[in-house]
Amino acid sequence: MDARCPVRTLELTVQSVEGLQLDRKPATTKNNLFVVVRAESINSYTTCMAKEDATNNNLTWNHKLDVDVPLHASSITLEVKSKTLKGVKDVGIARVAVSEFMGGFGSVPQHCLQFLSYRLRDWEGRRNGVLNFSVRVVNSPEYVTAAAGKAVSPCGFKLRGTTMGATTSSSSCGGGVVVGVPIGWNSYGSSTYNNV
Amino acid sequence: MGNCCSDVAGGHASIGTTAGDLRHQADTANDAVDYFLRSRGHRGLFSQIELLFSASGLRDRDVLSKSDPMLVLYTKGKNGALEELGRTEVVLNSLDPTWITKHTLIYHFEVVQVLVNCSIKFFHHRFRVYDVDTQFHNVDVKMLKLEEQQFLGEATCALSEIITRFDQSLTLDLHRDDFITSTHSQNYGKLLVHCEESLSSKTAIEMIFRCSDLEYRDLFSRSDPFLLISKVVEGGMQIPICKTEVIKNDLNPMWKPVFLNIQQVGGKDSPLIIECYNFNSNGKHDLMGKVKRSLLELEKIHSSGQGEKLFLPNKVVLNSQLFVDKFTESVQYTFLDYVAGGFELNFMVAVDFTASNGNPRLPDSLHYLDPSGRQNAYQRAIVEVGEVIQFYDSDKRFPAWGFGARPIDGPVSHCFNLNGSSHYCEVEGIQGIMTAYTSALLNVSLAGPTLFGPVISNAALIASHSVANGGRKYFVLLIITDGVVTDLQETKDALVKASDLPLSILIVGVGGADFKEMEVLDADKGEPLESSSGRVASRDIVQFVPYRDVQSGEISVVQALLAELPTQFLTYVRSRNIQPSL
Repeated sequence: MDARCPVRTLELTVQSVEGLQLDRKPATTKNNLFVVVRAESINSYTTCMAKEDATNNNLTWNHKLDVDVPLHASSITLEVKSKTLKGVKDVGIARVAVSEFMGGFGSVPQHCLQFLSYRLRDWEGRRNGVLNFSVRVVNSPEYVTAAAGKAVSPCGFKLRGTTMGATTSSSSCGGGVVVGVPIGWNSYGSSTYNNV
Repeated sequence: MGNCCSDVAGGHASIGTTAGDLRHQADTANDAVDYFLRSRGHRGLFSQIELLFSASGLRDRDVLSKSDPMLVLYTKGKNGALEELGRTEVVLNSLDPTWITKHTLIYHFEVVQVLVNCSIKFFHHRFRVYDVDTQFHNVDVKMLKLEEQQFLGEATCALSEIITRFDQSLTLDLHRDDFITSTHSQNYGKLLVHCEESLSSKTAIEMIFRCSDLEYRDLFSRSDPFLLISKVVEGGMQIPICKTEVIKNDLNPMWKPVFLNIQQVGGKDSPLIIECYNFNSNGKHDLMGKVKRSLLELEKIHSSGQGEKLFLPNKVVLNSQLFVDKFTESVQYTFLDYVAGGFELNFMVAVDFTASNGNPRLPDSLHYLDPSGRQNAYQRAIVEVGEVIQFYDSDKRFPAWGFGARPIDGPVSHCFNLNGSSHYCEVEGIQGIMTAYTSALLNVSLAGPTLFGPVISNAALIASHSVANGGRKYFVLLIITDGVVTDLQETKDALVKASDLPLSILIVGVGGADFKEMEVLDADKGEPLESSSGRVASRDIVQFVPYRDVQSGEISVVQALLAELPTQFLTYVRSRNIQPSL
């Protein structure tokens, strides 16, 4: 990762998967399942092998990853893979828009823990289970900029008055161009809630 | 010989088909059970409230000694008549009595089993204090005739007013509504009401069952067993309270943990019947054996590590055995704990102002404001839900929106403030909502289409602000609509996004439209919602009820809409390990 390019860091915990099938049979721990997380970068992050949750028989990882997400990234992917004698087999993939966990309009503030569930699809687009994970933004250029100007509550910052992205002069990241994801937009243009 | 070979081949094919169907049905059944349990927070409970009373400053009605007070507890029924719920003992010679007698009330707010019709009930309780005449001191209080005693005073409150207090105590002024004293205020003393949730209501028991040496019940394969646990009520009737998942092709199954509440069972010494069935996709399951034991006995079985032999209805004892591999008892926080600990339920309202409701000036309009004062469906829904939830909101300022109307000189708005302001959306109290509603009807033009997305997103914005500020609030949005939602996918997207926020959404359908699409939004009746991006709702936050079902009088709006609300609340706080401030 190029140190000069700003990134946001996610504390992403891959929790469990429900309803996953391999070769039309329910997935088990014998399938040696693991998850690879990518954020539109050459870097990838890999979990351990899944275990079985005794309470609900779901396959679980509960594996925490610190994922660096480039500011230009628009999505992250979570790929469930199976390690076999013949190699690694793709089982399902979930693509998550970065805006989903960046505390946008009507979402959980980014610095609060968010629980997400996403439909997995195989490479032919067929549905194959649901992947559960949690996300918290632990480091973000937007957060640093906001914090420099005003106090921030423990669970994040208010939407009002938030800096709309950041400008960088580094040529490798596009000099003079505003980058980052706009946050706090109000597409409905309706009432303002007082006493916030 | 050739014919014999052909028969064998046909038999295999038939069995294979059946087995395939069986696996599919079993998966579906198990998934349904899992989702049912998860959506109810896994450990749904109902609460039993104990009321304790004391008084101070009572009037002295006896000449030679102090009064001998007794308290009588009433509830007001739907017809307004008072129904006596119970009486305390008589405290002799005291003007500041503390009664020992506890009065127990059921506070239902969530459903563990579908057979039980549970609901949040709005209690209005009336307390009357009497001075018992000396000659009746040795008479059982149940036999006392109240008209023969001296009436000291009475007080009225709602149960919600007590349980929402931090200390769960409420002090009330006693008063008398008789002609002689009504002309001026007098002090008849004070009544202190304290409530506690019974420990049995909070106690949950987790058990893991295992069987060994079950009998073969399928022709060419092992059995597919599941357990059905029932409680025995008066008359010997069995009421199912819990069911395990189906384990396929296993004669020595171990099931997922089972969670029971002592209150649900009736007591630790109440008999339970645990039946083991072989699952059949046609619904006619084979009984493989059963045991009849109380929770206490199951605990002993667990401690001993030994199994209990199953038997059949004809008393034949089988070689099959039931084991209790795990038996743990725990006390967990309940909805009432969170309420007492400062959590609030904040009420929000969104009203459909689309043209399909009809011209508000015409009697056939769903928005018709009857000059006689009779409320329309929208007004009734607001009042019936609001008057319950308002007790859980300290400031009683409620966001109120309309959607689908055209304000004066403006475009159609799919989320406008009922109060007419462009700056804030809150109104004061339930009456404020009603006033804003009638005012809005006179100041906007009904338009369309019916969109839920904007109001849901606005409610989600308020909830997300609360989370960001560390607020201990849970929001309840009531949407009242007459038509089919136009932006179904956008609504789903908004709901999925909101499912991770402290928000529940109640949808009431008024009028005669087809509300089938609404039922899609209510995850109780379908699969979990999925957004266009593939995100799946982390929990069910929607409850939909068509108002015409409610109009029959068999069930109220409050019961239908609010039954799942505490469960949705608990699912949220528990998933985030939020503790009440007790």
